[in-house]
Amino acid sequence: MLMLRVMTWISLRLGRRAARVVLHLIAAYFLLLAPASRRASRAYLRRALGRPPHWRDLYRHFFTFAATIHDRIYLVNQRFELFDFEVHGEDTLLGLLAAGKGLFLVGAHMGSFEVIRAIGRKNADLRVAMVMHQENARKINAMLAAINPEAVQDIIALGHIDSMLRLREFLDAGGAVGMLADRTPGKDTLHPAQILGANADLPGGPFRTAALLRRPVAFMTGLYLGGNRYAIHFDALADFSTVARDQRDAAVEAAIARYAALLDHYCRAAPYNWFNFFDFWRPTPAASPPQS
Amino acid sequence: MIGCLNLEITEDQIAPDAPLYGEGLGLDSIDVLEVALEVSKRYGLQLRSDSADNKLIFSSLRSLSDHIAAQRTR
Repeated sequence: MLMLRVMTWISLRLGRRAARVVLHLIAAYFLLLAPASRRASRAYLRRALGRPPHWRDLYRHFFTFAATIHDRIYLVNQRFELFDFEVHGEDTLLGLLAAGKGLFLVGAHMGSFEVIRAIGRKNADLRVAMVMHQENARKINAMLAAINPEAVQDIIALGHIDSMLRLREFLDAGGAVGMLADRTPGKDTLHPAQILGANADLPGGPFRTAALLRRPVAFMTGLYLGGNRYAIHFDALADFSTVARDQRDAAVEAAIARYAALLDHYCRAAPYNWFNFFDFWRPTPAASPPQS
Repeated sequence: MIGCLNLEITEDQIAPDAPLYGEGLGLDSIDVLEVALEVSKRYGLQLRSDSADNKLIFSSLRSLSDHIAAQRTR
């Protein structure tokens, strides 16, 4: 946490431009000294770019990751004026919220989810609670305390017996519950999906919960475009409001397929924003090493 | 409850006093939500997150049914 406090001090006192020199060091560090991340980056970029990636593609990938993490310091401190946000699909979001029954806001480890704060500032009645596993919740709270002790964020920690009851009450009050649905640290039923022309497994929990609670689901991502620019996208993903119980499993499958299609779309549109630096895709049978 | 959760066990395999959540029957919090929804539909009682008794209520099938018997509105 000391490093984070030092970095926060540099970022807020010396300004974003000066602090970003440090980010180049971080990107270079990963490029040179993190072979597992580098392998994952290369395998992913080959799929997303449709060509073998250059070193500078990998560098840009790591730099984009470092930049979005770093910009959280400013977002948590409400320095929205530093950024140029273009927002797509805000009407979709507000339309779904207008029913007053709450909304699932599903993202991924892609771009920045923190930019939702910029939307929240403009729409005072948009309340967002992030759903995450207990261990992550503890880490995030410690991080927020180091960046800005006054920053509040509603967090619904999973792993408690009544986690889902809290989630339902937050929705009943008209709030949006945010979750990253591309991976799970816990045990969850996995569903096969096609992303960038290869097989991956996506957790079913987020969509199953939305189906049980019969709520609409919107996709959200904040893609980093370079400089101080972000493009925030909202897309309607599924609406379980009227899904009968015997249709539920099929509706969940359809939602996961739509989620995979959205990930595929935005990976191609903004390839350097994908932040799963591990082997996300299942090995294809032909590529797996021969059994000996 | 078995029907509601599609559990792959039969009724006599649930011990009335075994824990429902975590070890024991091994329900996760989504399953707990599913049970809570079903209970409110059938018996007209709302299980709420601010109830300090949740741990107790879900501690076993017996305590859950005791709670429902005491609080049910239909």
